[in-house]
Amino acid sequence: MGIVGSFSDAHFLAKPDQSPSTSPGTMAPEERSLPATRHRFQRQGFSYERLIKFFFASNAGLTIVILILIIVFLLKEGLGFFPGYRRELETYRIAGLEFVDISRKNLTSHEQLTSLLNRAYFAEINGKSVREMRRTQEASALFNAFTDQIAPTRDLILNNPQGETDGNSGMLASLRANFEIQRAKALDSPLPTPHLTADERKHLIESLRTRPAEATDDPPLVAALAGEFAAAQQKNSEPLQAYRATIDVFEAAGSDLGSAIMEMTELVTATKEKLQSADILEKDRRTLLAAASNEKNPAEREKLLAEAQAALAEKPDIETPMQALLERRPDNIRLHAELRLASAEIFKQIPLSLSESDANRLLNAARSAWPVFLAGLDAAPEKINAWKHTDPVPLSDAIISFLTGRDWITGGEWQDFYGILPLAIGSLMIAIVALVIAIPVGIGSAIYVNQFAARREQSLVKPVIEFIQAIPSVVLGFIGILVFGTVLREISVMDSLQWVPGFPIEERLNIFTAGCLLALMSIPTIFSLAEDALNNVPSAYAEASEALGASKVQTTFRVMIPAAFSGMLAAILLGFGRVIGETMVVLLVAGNRIKIPDFTAGLGVFFQPTHTLTGIIAQELGEVPLGSVHYRALFVVGILLFVVVLGINATAHHFVNRVKK
Amino acid sequence: MFDPEKLIRKGLPKGYFKDILVRSLLGGITYLIVLIAVLLFAKIIIDGAPAIFTSKFPFVDIEFLTAKNETLHVFDDANGTRHQLPASKYSEYVSTHQGENIYNEQTFSYSGGGIAGPIAGTALLTVGSIILALFFGVSAAIYLAEYAKQSPFIHAVRLAILNLAGIPSIVFGLFGFSVFVLAVPVITSTPSDRTLLAIPLFINDWVLSFQGWNSSLIAGCATLACMILPVIITASEESLRAVPQGFRDASLAMGGTRWQTIRKCVLPYSLPGILTSSLLAITRVAGETAPIMFTAAVAAKDDFPWQGLGNPFDILSSQVQALPYHIYTLAARIPNSEYTQRAQYGSVLVFLILVAVLSFGSMVLRAKMRSKLKW
Repeated sequence: MGIVGSFSDAHFLAKPDQSPSTSPGTMAPEERSLPATRHRFQRQGFSYERLIKFFFASNAGLTIVILILIIVFLLKEGLGFFPGYRRELETYRIAGLEFVDISRKNLTSHEQLTSLLNRAYFAEINGKSVREMRRTQEASALFNAFTDQIAPTRDLILNNPQGETDGNSGMLASLRANFEIQRAKALDSPLPTPHLTADERKHLIESLRTRPAEATDDPPLVAALAGEFAAAQQKNSEPLQAYRATIDVFEAAGSDLGSAIMEMTELVTATKEKLQSADILEKDRRTLLAAASNEKNPAEREKLLAEAQAALAEKPDIETPMQALLERRPDNIRLHAELRLASAEIFKQIPLSLSESDANRLLNAARSAWPVFLAGLDAAPEKINAWKHTDPVPLSDAIISFLTGRDWITGGEWQDFYGILPLAIGSLMIAIVALVIAIPVGIGSAIYVNQFAARREQSLVKPVIEFIQAIPSVVLGFIGILVFGTVLREISVMDSLQWVPGFPIEERLNIFTAGCLLALMSIPTIFSLAEDALNNVPSAYAEASEALGASKVQTTFRVMIPAAFSGMLAAILLGFGRVIGETMVVLLVAGNRIKIPDFTAGLGVFFQPTHTLTGIIAQELGEVPLGSVHYRALFVVGILLFVVVLGINATAHHFVNRVKK
Repeated sequence: MFDPEKLIRKGLPKGYFKDILVRSLLGGITYLIVLIAVLLFAKIIIDGAPAIFTSKFPFVDIEFLTAKNETLHVFDDANGTRHQLPASKYSEYVSTHQGENIYNEQTFSYSGGGIAGPIAGTALLTVGSIILALFFGVSAAIYLAEYAKQSPFIHAVRLAILNLAGIPSIVFGLFGFSVFVLAVPVITSTPSDRTLLAIPLFINDWVLSFQGWNSSLIAGCATLACMILPVIITASEESLRAVPQGFRDASLAMGGTRWQTIRKCVLPYSLPGILTSSLLAITRVAGETAPIMFTAAVAAKDDFPWQGLGNPFDILSSQVQALPYHIYTLAARIPNSEYTQRAQYGSVLVFLILVAVLSFGSMVLRAKMRSKLKW
């Protein structure tokens, strides 16, 4: 394909040599008619030499062909997305799903507020009973680890029918012996329990060591600690009873709106199904018509046309259910107003602050979300009244909804949304973490190796860093998933590190984990390019500076780095491009939760799981039907990545070229 | 009296401690990276060594490297002894024991047996794509280094190479999927329904159908070859240009044609350099997962790629297992437990050794080349 495609490229290269022919008389008569620009020694026609040159030129042209193919095929698969998505959005509007979502949005924020208040409530209680909580957690963790080890053998003993005489006793004996071995192994190195007293710990381990093999109940200490914790919770919840009641009232206030939405949902889902089956029939009809127009046999064609006629879908009746839906408008507005009234009242009853910092953070998040919630309720009646199912859906809506959509929901029963914001934010946040780590480290080590290190050090450090570059990304992802994530979580539960925002982390696979591994990947890139940039600074600069009496550090920071600054910037940009385009590490380690991270958590936001542009393609392309809107959406994400990374690289090369000049 | 001693500043120079601080800070950062790298390898080697090394001669677990990949069955027998058997041995065990006395059975996909299938698949993918990329890449480099003059075409080629080198691997995956899997032409008598264009050839009832190669070894090789083409071209051009101009001039002066000059006086001297730098490309090809996820790789396969084929060329149209994809499967799709560790860390260690040998080899060769070839 490349050879065929690039012969045309080769043609304009094959310029004839410009040397004029000296004496026409020496030429053979038939050659005289040819243009005189050819050299007389040059063989005419399609020579062997020129064929070879064409061949090599066509191979060089192959790179252009590949680049064009990439662009063309990405666009071919991707561009169909926007019309398809527009059609889906149109169905979403015509069927009335959009109308229901106006109310549902308010209900969702009501639910989120309820959950925030509830979390604050439990954070307060658990924060006050933190000692009891740690104790019971540690004791049960130790017990669970023990159980995991011995459970198989124990179940065998339990399952073996006992008291029979047919040689079972021998087997039982060996089982018991095995159980003792397993028990010894389990108690060999029990988990640490820093919050239990040494006495309690000894007691617990002793009780595990001496309990009968068949026992499945909790040891007394574990049960007692659980009771202690429950009692502490009970005690600490007493001063909060008023708050609890407020939450319950608030929760109940949304139930009417919830049930109204449930009823409307049934109505519109039925309409949507009708519309979708009509779409499918219409597609069938078009296929039949196309087949009919290609068919040469008139009888066959008649048959196909008749089939197409039969398949002509009746336009589904959407007006009746729509009228039923629109009749609910006053009712709906009333429900919103009621909720608005109740919520404004409840806001005054919420305590201004709680004693635990975690609980306060959640409470503050709820308080700051409250005006937004109320504004949403206020705006609802107007939106409900203004909504028309006949409004057209322009193509720009599909594009805007793709670029600024906050949801990437696929394969759902309600409605698929393709908004890349959560993915783009995920990619960006991982890149930020990676670069914050990789820039100082990569540039710093490049400066050290280039300026301060002895020759022997250089020959030790450089190969090691270059070898990091050779580690396949899937191996780094593997390390992240099996080693680093677990280590990070263990570190995050340490008491001495609780001041770090986001600790203890909830998920071991999160933005920070992925960012660290990507930093490791991009350090070699940044390092070697930055070192090159330093190398390219003319040695006269450094010599002049040192001759003026500047120290090595002064020379480095005042002369070398400013001179190599463009190159270093290019190194950083290329590292950034590599981080954004990396797939396997983020697919394995980022946690794959498609949601915009919760920025109310402060810096703790970096310890939340996320999903990325590259990861979504790798994860979903294998599962989508060819040619579907979802499939095309993934190609549009690919186009976006392509454009972004090429933009970054072009900027980087711009800086590199500036240095060369 | 004039005392020259007075001119020499006593004590430590100004900013001495700042110097030391900056130096040690930067040095600390550098050695931190080295330390992290060393720790990483140590962790993998320590955890992976039990899977592939044994205490007896020949010290390598041959079975892990040569057996097919299977599901692992873990169960207790009546005595409470725990067995770990791959699927084939498990069915043997079940048939000899009439399926009795098997308790607490757990199965772990992909964790039993060895990793011969993925190793073979990766080898095939790597060899195939390197052959393709070297052929086209070296040809393109010859044009760029030997024939090309300043022209818009050359400018476009260089721009294309630069851009191709920066494209993320997942975009190459999309490209390979939409072009090699779904769109390239094949000659067949039964074109598929989704063919883009079918041109009858009027020989038998063959049709040139643009329906793609499906997910297959050849599609994977082609995708990977496109991905490393810029690397190969750049490296080859560099080694071609390293051959002194005098060699060419001498040959041309003796009346050799351009092609004769290239074949006899340029290529032989640049070939070692080209091959050395293509080793680095092999490292990259062997390690890539994203481009082959949709174009060639399959998580589980019962046969080796070369088994059960009608004719030898069918190997090109069959899917293969690949080591990086296998590691991805082991890391992402199965739970982490003590029974899967052998497969997980073992595969990673084998893979890492492979990559390390390749990249170390290329580093050593490159150093050797530089010292040997000095014109």
